[in-house]
Amino acid sequence: MSAVVAELRRNRLSLSYVIVAVLLILLVVAGGFLSDRFLTWRNFGNLFQQLVVLGMVSLGQTFVVLLGGIDLAVGSLVSASTVFIAHFLEWRPDLLWLALPLALVAATAIGALNGLLTIVLRVHPLIVTLGMSSIIFGGTLMYNKEPGGSVPRSLADFSYAKLWGIPVTAIVLVAIFALAGLWLQRSRSGRSIYFVGGDREAARLNGLPVNRIVVMAYALSGLCAGLAAIFLTARTGVGDPRIGTALTLQSITPVVVGGTILAGGRGGVLGTLLGVLLVTMLNNLLNFLNVSSYYQWVIQGLIIIIAVSIHTTRRRQ
Amino acid sequence: MVTPVIELSRIEKEYPGVKPLDSVDFAVRPGEIHALLGENGAGKSTLIRVMGGAIRPNGGSMAYLGKPVSWQSPKQARRAGIHVIHQELALFPELSVAENILVDAQPRNGLGLISGRARHARAAEILSQLGVKISTHAKIDELPLADQQMVEIAKALVGEVRLLVLDEPTAVISGHEVDLLFDNMRRLRSEGVGIVYVSHRLEEIFEIADRVTILKDGQVAGTGPVGDLTRDEMITKMVGRRLEQIYPARRKATATGPEILKVSNLRAGHRVRDVSISVRPGEVVGIAGMVGSGRTEVAEVIFGARDLDGGTIEFEGKRLDRRMPREAIRNGLGFLTENRKDEGLFLGLPISANVMAPDLAGVTRRGLIDRRGEREIALEQIRNFAVAAPSPEVKVGNLSGGNQQKVLFGRWSRIARKLLILDEPTRGVDIGAKVEIYRIVRNLAEQGVGILMISSELPEIIGLSDRIFVMSQGHVAGEIDGASATEEAIMDLAVRSIDRREGAAARLEQVA
Amino acid sequence: MAPLETPLPRSRGVSVASVFERYGLIVFLIVLLLVAAALSPTFLRPANLVNVLTIAAPLGMVVVGQTFVILVRGLDLSVASLMATVAVLATAFRATTNDAIPMIFVAAIAFSAVVGFVNGWLVAKRDVSPFLATLAMMIILQGVRFAYTGGAPISTLPPGMGFLASGRILGIPVNLMTLALLAIVFGVVLHRSRLGREIFMVGSNPKAAFLNGVAPDRVIIFCYVICSVCAGIGGLFLLGYVGTVSNWVGQGYELDSIVAAVMGGVALTGGRGNIFAALLGVAVLVIINNLVLLLGFPIEMQLIIKGIIIIGAAAFYRTRLA
Repeated sequence: MSAVVAELRRNRLSLSYVIVAVLLILLVVAGGFLSDRFLTWRNFGNLFQQLVVLGMVSLGQTFVVLLGGIDLAVGSLVSASTVFIAHFLEWRPDLLWLALPLALVAATAIGALNGLLTIVLRVHPLIVTLGMSSIIFGGTLMYNKEPGGSVPRSLADFSYAKLWGIPVTAIVLVAIFALAGLWLQRSRSGRSIYFVGGDREAARLNGLPVNRIVVMAYALSGLCAGLAAIFLTARTGVGDPRIGTALTLQSITPVVVGGTILAGGRGGVLGTLLGVLLVTMLNNLLNFLNVSSYYQWVIQGLIIIIAVSIHTTRRRQ
Repeated sequence: MVTPVIELSRIEKEYPGVKPLDSVDFAVRPGEIHALLGENGAGKSTLIRVMGGAIRPNGGSMAYLGKPVSWQSPKQARRAGIHVIHQELALFPELSVAENILVDAQPRNGLGLISGRARHARAAEILSQLGVKISTHAKIDELPLADQQMVEIAKALVGEVRLLVLDEPTAVISGHEVDLLFDNMRRLRSEGVGIVYVSHRLEEIFEIADRVTILKDGQVAGTGPVGDLTRDEMITKMVGRRLEQIYPARRKATATGPEILKVSNLRAGHRVRDVSISVRPGEVVGIAGMVGSGRTEVAEVIFGARDLDGGTIEFEGKRLDRRMPREAIRNGLGFLTENRKDEGLFLGLPISANVMAPDLAGVTRRGLIDRRGEREIALEQIRNFAVAAPSPEVKVGNLSGGNQQKVLFGRWSRIARKLLILDEPTRGVDIGAKVEIYRIVRNLAEQGVGILMISSELPEIIGLSDRIFVMSQGHVAGEIDGASATEEAIMDLAVRSIDRREGAAARLEQVA
Repeated sequence: MAPLETPLPRSRGVSVASVFERYGLIVFLIVLLLVAAALSPTFLRPANLVNVLTIAAPLGMVVVGQTFVILVRGLDLSVASLMATVAVLATAFRATTNDAIPMIFVAAIAFSAVVGFVNGWLVAKRDVSPFLATLAMMIILQGVRFAYTGGAPISTLPPGMGFLASGRILGIPVNLMTLALLAIVFGVVLHRSRLGREIFMVGSNPKAAFLNGVAPDRVIIFCYVICSVCAGIGGLFLLGYVGTVSNWVGQGYELDSIVAAVMGGVALTGGRGNIFAALLGVAVLVIINNLVLLLGFPIEMQLIIKGIIIIGAAAFYRTRLA
């Protein structure tokens, strides 16, 4: 008997994933019934296009939330990066091979700075990233208030390229998620995020370099923001200082729905990916059903509350 | 003469106002189980932390495997083969057993990635060496404390361990789990590992240890092979000291009258197994016992801050059913908690707010706080208890420990007119404030308040109590009259292993 | 005497640091005013000052409420969305005379109270993190609001709303009077009433509060209700200011209110702060924004400065606590 209980207990986190996965499946099935356009290859292709950007920022947010923190600077960092990329490439379209890595490095550095500030100033990450968000946003606006810049053909093509009917960007996204998941589960530095998020003091007592790990997690979030910006710029062809404004809070929903709790130490990228799929698919289906986007918002809010309640109650047991 | 695994010579450790270690010599030989004995606060924890590299001594020297060392960090000591298992386990609750065991040494596969399979395999291997059946996939916070402790021990066996320090490991386990632990200790001993075993359970020490060192007030009171000392001698070395004349004279007549509090067969969680206590008005009842014996938990249940699983609590003859601190306060109970910073004080608030905290109704007129009234009451209490603060507006976070404690007395003495529960009332308090607190307690008792006092300081309990209940492992090991109590008698009861005896008796019954 | 394992804290009395804590913000504000007057002659002109105050008033109302929530270790991200929703709801009153104003107020307060109750209940009874609970509420309100308006701004306001925003009684702007009223009433509640004391206790040490007979859950829910009610009232004042009600009115106020509170010394860790100081925080924020404009700097500069200020203020208060 105790073996069965242990078996069930062991899979507690997996149970969270299972719940989300089941919901996803239900959604797909329901979608197939409710709308004949839902289950088409073409629709899913569009879907994946849309979720690439959200997926990237949610991934970055996952690292930080696992640590027990939060990154509210994501949106403005994405905007700033798109502006940087688009204007750089407008100036020198031939330097694509330079522009993109440069943007990534800059974004990662800013992310690292966020982490550093939380440690050095001992200020809550909410405040640090909020302040940085404001600073970055203001700085970007000062550079250029309107969408501008341009991208070379090659980059735009990348955005629309398909491999066997699946958008390349989606393939890249899934690959990045897989890599991230592997790193978190199977590498020492990846696992250390769970340790620090689970119990910072215990981590310190066990000799882990807590400060370095914190900076690393925030740096990764910055990197993901940079990557999201690349996808975004490729798709839209311009750099827009306001494009990321809504992304910040949007990036948190999939993380939370996917079972990674805000207190840290528990969860993972698989949950986030499922969360992204769930949220995007739901919106997609509701669109097909002509549900006003306004009601979609209501539903999204309810989903957050329900998801958190589920994950929290089961934790309290 | 074999080279000791670790040898500490003339170790000194001092903090402002206290000296936990005073010229301590301590050595552990390979293949030896060395018990470290001493009452609460004798310096055992400090000594362990010095050995494990968590703190640096102010004086003295340390040699490890024959060479002088000075640890810069616990990690360094661990790398060298010293593994300390503290009472507060350093585990990660949300992660699996395997992950916790191998936190420092995750096995990798050919690609350089951590191999989950190898991790579980290695963890399972170690656990089977220990003879425990714990699933390596289980999450730590799902396991009972005894299993968690085994995980900590398993952690120690991952690398090469030369010195294993166990700090009160049997505080949370009993019966056959202790047997399992001892079997493993013996096995390690035979492999040449030196083991330091901190415990206050004398029966266990006689069973498992080879040598014993007894600390008292930061000094070595005795050391030698276990066989050389009798139980009574050990106890005497642990506690024998002159009673300083700092306790108010005992009253001649003891308190009479119907019991104000009657606890019968209380059971709560795993710490309180079967406790029966009573207090009469005007009586000071002391509760002695080692850390982990369940005393605080009993107090919490009485006050309504913790649920009970079995037994009854009668207050003034009526059963207490609504279990909330608010009800208790309304009935005239008070609870001065053990951790004043975590559970008692509002550090950012002024003295006046802290004093009035449980009795806001007393200074509320038409919904608003009567600040002047509050200030007056606070001033009165500051005077009554000689709190060293310039005004009632001072934030309590700025006061010294002794004064903070007096503020708490100022808080509870006003409204706890029936029963006041004190948990370690003089912890972290200097001697001057202590004397004053003792006088306060005596005065309250004379006014008819029943006092239930939990304390780890034997002189204090003996000096103040009319009756003393001694708890051990969640049971009441015995009741002693205050006037004739001795430290040895209390300690004798406190170190009794009740469960093991029951377990042993049960096994005997099975055999017979 | 039992030897200790950790050192005793040193006794600290009144010191320079604590004096600065109490008066530093006022001093800073005064210095700021002087600097502003020196740098820009337009600053002290009555028209400018009125302008500044009008912008500050609704934010101030929100901050009063936000202070309560932060004091109990929480956050309310839904305030801005609530303001806009209340504003939109007010337009549903197809009234033709000023008599509708009291009714509108009552409706706004009732609606806000319900929203606040839900927030507080989620946080206190369901253990949902305040961040997520109020974030979800923000999104839900947004959906409701947009569904009602169909996404378009509303231009028919009930009469009297304009009066609220820019009218005066006895020469004093109505919005300022209301802010003062709210600040005084809730200031009394927070700093003088029994409930206010319980709020500080819960924020300072929830466990100790419980052991002293306080019901933390009820206190927490109450704080969220107050926060929402203040935001709702603030929303009514934002209404009449522009002449139309956009769906995004009050945007950014949730973060601004937190910034202002933190600048005013309200600790995110709970149990510390006062309404007056939080309002000073609003003043500082609004004046700096105004100064940036008057000095001809790009408006985006406001954002940068705001970001630096909030990080700086939090770091300042944090390092002094340690």
